[in-house]
Amino acid sequence: MLAAIGFVACGSPEQSRTATRTVTVYVSTDRVFSEPVLREYERRSGVKVNAVYDTEETKSTGLANRLLAEKARPQADVFWSNEPVRTLVLKSRDVLASYRSPSAEGIPAALLDPDGYWTGFSARIRVIAYNTKTVGAEDAPQSIFDLAEPKWKGQVAIADPRFGSTSFHVAALYALAGDDKMDEFFRRLKANGVRIVEGNSVVRDLVARGEVKTGLTDTDDVNVAIENGQPVGMVLPDREGLGVPVMPNMVSLIAGAPHPEEARKLIDYLLSADVERQLAQSEAVQIPLHAGVPGPKNIPAIETFKPMTLDYAKAASRVDDVTKRLATILGL
Amino acid sequence: MFVVCCVLPVGYLLTVSLSSVDAFSALLLDARQRQLLYNTALLGTGTALLATVIGAPLGLALARIALPRKAILRLALAAPVLLPPYIVGLAWTYLGSSRGWVATLAGHDLLSAWTYSLPAAIVVLSVVFYPLSMLATEVAMRRIDGRLEEAALVVAPPGRVMSRITLPLAAPGVFAAALVIFVLAVSEFGVPGLLRVRVYTTEVFTAFAALYDFTRAILLAVPLLLLCLIVAAVAAALLGDRLVITRRSAGTRPALFDEWQRPATLGALVVLTVALLLPLAILVSEAMAAQSISAVLAGFGSAIANSLVLAAAGATAVVSVAVWLGYARARTAGRMGQGADILFIVLFAVPSTIVGVGLILLWNRPGPFGAVYGTDIMLLLGYLARFVPVAALALAASARYVPVSHEEAAAVSGAGWLRTMWGIVLPQMRLGLAAAWVVAFVLAFGELGVSILVAPPGEATLPIRIYTIIANTPSSHVAALALLQTAVIFVPLAALGAAMSLREAR
Repeated sequence: MLAAIGFVACGSPEQSRTATRTVTVYVSTDRVFSEPVLREYERRSGVKVNAVYDTEETKSTGLANRLLAEKARPQADVFWSNEPVRTLVLKSRDVLASYRSPSAEGIPAALLDPDGYWTGFSARIRVIAYNTKTVGAEDAPQSIFDLAEPKWKGQVAIADPRFGSTSFHVAALYALAGDDKMDEFFRRLKANGVRIVEGNSVVRDLVARGEVKTGLTDTDDVNVAIENGQPVGMVLPDREGLGVPVMPNMVSLIAGAPHPEEARKLIDYLLSADVERQLAQSEAVQIPLHAGVPGPKNIPAIETFKPMTLDYAKAASRVDDVTKRLATILGL
Repeated sequence: MFVVCCVLPVGYLLTVSLSSVDAFSALLLDARQRQLLYNTALLGTGTALLATVIGAPLGLALARIALPRKAILRLALAAPVLLPPYIVGLAWTYLGSSRGWVATLAGHDLLSAWTYSLPAAIVVLSVVFYPLSMLATEVAMRRIDGRLEEAALVVAPPGRVMSRITLPLAAPGVFAAALVIFVLAVSEFGVPGLLRVRVYTTEVFTAFAALYDFTRAILLAVPLLLLCLIVAAVAAALLGDRLVITRRSAGTRPALFDEWQRPATLGALVVLTVALLLPLAILVSEAMAAQSISAVLAGFGSAIANSLVLAAAGATAVVSVAVWLGYARARTAGRMGQGADILFIVLFAVPSTIVGVGLILLWNRPGPFGAVYGTDIMLLLGYLARFVPVAALALAASARYVPVSHEEAAAVSGAGWLRTMWGIVLPQMRLGLAAAWVVAFVLAFGELGVSILVAPPGEATLPIRIYTIIANTPSSHVAALALLQTAVIFVPLAALGAAMSLREAR
């Protein structure tokens, strides 16, 4: 047994980590999109980036729990989240430290934490995906409330609303539209035979295969299908009503980070226009928040629609309550 | 070592969580809790029963019927246990969906209403776990004294000999395997999560991943552990020491039921088709749609090497600890021995996330513990915490077959305990040690729940790499990655099995 441990310990990265400048980042943004950004930072800065990537929310309990468990002796320097809920939970549990990056200049104030615990960048949009073979563009649902119409009975899929970007979306809807209206909507959705599946990528696949006609997912998921030539189109929901739900990435400094200086430099880089350009041009098709950075193909520019006006902290504070409500209403 | 690696992380977490009086309210059995308990018990019982119904006759056939190409057949029939349950579940969803294979072949939708359901989860888990019942049954039957059956055949037909002699003697081994399958099924998260079945593991997961509520998550695991405790205690009460110990074999092992050769071969081929060939064919078909397989697989080399090294080191560490526990268990009779069995079974059922969080809280602190945290040794500690209990149970059975008289003879000859162990006991356990090592290797290789919480930054095992990349990947790429994980584990073990079979044949 000692031989086994010794063998593994000899190959452990700990020794090599002390030889060069390093920074440790926990990343919940999809690995396929975030890894190239971090590799580019390594190349430019000469700093070794030790990244821990997250799985899809429904496949492991994820990095937010690891950060909470490590709070007494943090191992991470930076947390890069692909949606607001986890960051705001970590802020409320004193896992994050304040840092106002100079690179944040130009990002809309609504997407900056007034206390500096997080900064938003490169956003995704929650969208309605539809199968272009079975639904014409003019017939596709235009509002998420349309999904509860009898017309779509048995033809709608959504990801489990207790997790990930869907949990943020429903919490935001409850915060904006009120509990009664949203409870009623989800009751009708349930009565309409909505299919609740494991994740947004499953919603996309069901729509692409024609197993359902429409569903609620994210822009990056839909774009993967479009790029693969699958018959999927998208609608930005509620342009005329509540507004289109926009979800920024969020980056935060960890309280008690082992490498605070390197952490700040990495945050500065992640918030730069260069990274926004990279994320816009990749399959992530994320919308830049800095003015003047060209947006992604397949996705409308942020100036062309009315975004949902959100108090992110207020929306996140509803997650716990909304999760429990929906467990009852949807029988989760 | 056992206490530090297996008991302490879980015990520490339970102690911290249960210190809150309010937290006990989460344990009250309201309607939701009763439903969870019912679903969990049904999933465990249904899987144990179905896996036994599939596996035990196959084990019987392998032990007592002259099947053609038996070594290869055994290897192929055992292979589904190497497939990660989540992957088989994924194949099932491709098969049963309204646009899946069944619907395409039948011309209309037959299975989609049933694809995401508790019975479907039972079927998927049974397909993965039946080899455990098959192998345990074969071992149990090979240890039956063939002379008893031969004597009975003089006065009774094969069917009666089977029901009155063979099966009762093999029953403890079959029952013990069913118990292990029950525990594996109730502690499994991936398949119930994928198929939308609400059981305790998914509820624990939700408390962690949706609510970030450690206390609730840990408390929700308590009923799960109590369920395992009750089932293990009932099994121990019914079987006593026979839970891990069967009779020593003697005499011949005749092929007694050769007249059943044809139906047995047919049955084995049907199981092989449904459990192994069909899921693999579905995944291959799905993966073929990927535009560039090489692009999907790029950058996986280091993760594969890392996983192989860690799983090998982990299996070695697990067996190194479990062999002493197994030996001690084999030499301990009565209630203390049964208590040890129950403890092993309950610890094996602890959800992986709870083990992971317990390890973080225990090891991520200043001083010598902290020096270990952040290194690959944490992954080894995770493997130890999760897999030592099941390896100890397996090795207890193996140690029991070493006659105590051999140790007594060594002692009389002046050999010390360590020399006796090294020179007398361990060599006689070598087959059991090899089997335990392979099982630990397979389990460690596929481990995700603990690994993703304690893997050092910058490092990744193959399952971590796969699961962190499939979030935004087309289903064709997911299928390709699933095949990669299966191939990496299956190819070397198949080669090892083939080599052993050839050696046996010579």
